[in-house]
Amino acid sequence: MWNYEKRLQFPVKITQPNAKLAQVIISQFGGPDGELAASMRYLSQRYTMPYNEVAGLLTDIGREAPEMFHLRGLRFF
Amino acid sequence: MSYKMNTEQENMLRNIGIVDFVTIEMTEYLDTHPFDREAMEYFNHYMRMKNQMMHDYAVKFGPLSLSVADTCGKEWKWALQPMPWEGGC
Repeated sequence: MWNYEKRLQFPVKITQPNAKLAQVIISQFGGPDGELAASMRYLSQRYTMPYNEVAGLLTDIGREAPEMFHLRGLRFF
Repeated sequence: MSYKMNTEQENMLRNIGIVDFVTIEMTEYLDTHPFDREAMEYFNHYMRMKNQMMHDYAVKFGPLSLSVADTCGKEWKWALQPMPWEGGC
């Protein structure tokens, strides 16, 4: 069901690694209010969505939200 | 902040990112407006453009997706090339 592309959505070049900043970013990704949690909510709520077009939208957002953030952020670690 | 794009590879990648962003946004619009013909044409236009760009990139620098990872060469480049966080694209 899932496919991925081997590229970043936006080019990121880390010239100076920053552990403190990485800590903040990783919590935005995997933390309690992070992208992963949001993504799982989109993807599980889509099953009970009574309107097909909105279920489709939830699926697309659920797969896109972490991708956007995640691939952008990963370079920081 | 300005990002300098010097090499041809970086340029091509950046352009793919731009066109791909359009297709993502159009997907979400079309999900809730499935009968908007004009939007569908817009989507098709940029999707075709992206497919062409992905193909052109693959020929020069290797595949960014499995759909352009042809096997006519001697090696399976898909797995050999680095991931973005390993110094790849």
